Amino acid sequence: MTATGEPSPALREPSPPLREPAPLLRESAPSLREPWHDLGFAPADALARQRAGASFGMWIFIASEVLFFGALFLFYAALRAEHPEAVAAAARETNIVYGTANTALLLTSGLLAAIAARAAEVPALRRLVLVCLLLTAGLGLAFLIVKGFEYREDIRENLVPGPGFKLADRPTQLFFGFYWFATAVHGIHLAIGIGLVTRLAWKGWRAPDFLATSPQVEVALLYWGFVDMVWIVLYPALYLVGRAG
Amino acid sequence: MSEAPTLRSILLRTVPVWLGLVALLAVSVLLAYRPLGPWNAALAFGIAGTQALLVAVPFMRLDTANALDRLTAACGLFWLAILFTLTLADVFARLAEG
Repeated sequence: MTATGEPSPALREPSPPLREPAPLLRESAPSLREPWHDLGFAPADALARQRAGASFGMWIFIASEVLFFGALFLFYAALRAEHPEAVAAAARETNIVYGTANTALLLTSGLLAAIAARAAEVPALRRLVLVCLLLTAGLGLAFLIVKGFEYREDIRENLVPGPGFKLADRPTQLFFGFYWFATAVHGIHLAIGIGLVTRLAWKGWRAPDFLATSPQVEVALLYWGFVDMVWIVLYPALYLVGRAG
Repeated sequence: MSEAPTLRSILLRTVPVWLGLVALLAVSVLLAYRPLGPWNAALAFGIAGTQALLVAVPFMRLDTANALDRLTAACGLFWLAILFTLTLADVFARLAEG
């Protein structure tokens, strides 16, 4: 080595930082978030507390989302109470094949998300978690593609509320107003979920410790489960009501 | 959460639930085409509620979640019940008046 490879003695001693984080936490649990280092918990305890906090926060978010989608379903309930025949006639216009296929896709993605959430706690099952995460996101993407074909068919059949709407009875347009709004909002939620799950797979692939030591896995998969539940309730509302008539 | 799950224990806790979900989906499609009058909607939404419960409890692990998480999930449903009860009471009262 030449003299250039060796720093001068003055540079070798850096000035101490203002706040030294606990080195034990830094090294053994790299994915813990910053504020937790200052609290001085042992790594396992810190992770458990962070997981509990993250899950609690996610359930609060889900409870507020229940009310958001609940308001949409409330509109549907009131519409159906006032115009049962119009809702039945309009619901017969939706494509039950696309709808049922999409329900099966989301139910299966829910299974894979549930497997991933459980397996993420076992470091030895990392590969399984990565595969399940990618398949979950893939099934979500397949849902959106099927939905795209369905939207194209709906537009061709003049099922967009407004002038030239396919059905004469005016409340049927209210049903399709609900259809477009609810499926679009659900689709946006699902797209966010696909992004979250893909990001988890990417981070888990890059950093081997990430999946077993981060509360983000549980949080993202709770979100996925919720988006699943919204579709489960949307499905009979949009596709099944009125088929017998 | 006491002991580390194995692949076998994970599959045993999740795959039967998925089979139940898909079976319920098939039942709800078949029932939708039978003329059962008001029972059609009741059965369709009843099955959907059961499916949602199957996602929330075993898949989202409310069965092993701590009390705070369960209480939060129940709160969401409680407020939803208030929203529906008060609004639909008004809607049905107006419909009954004609």
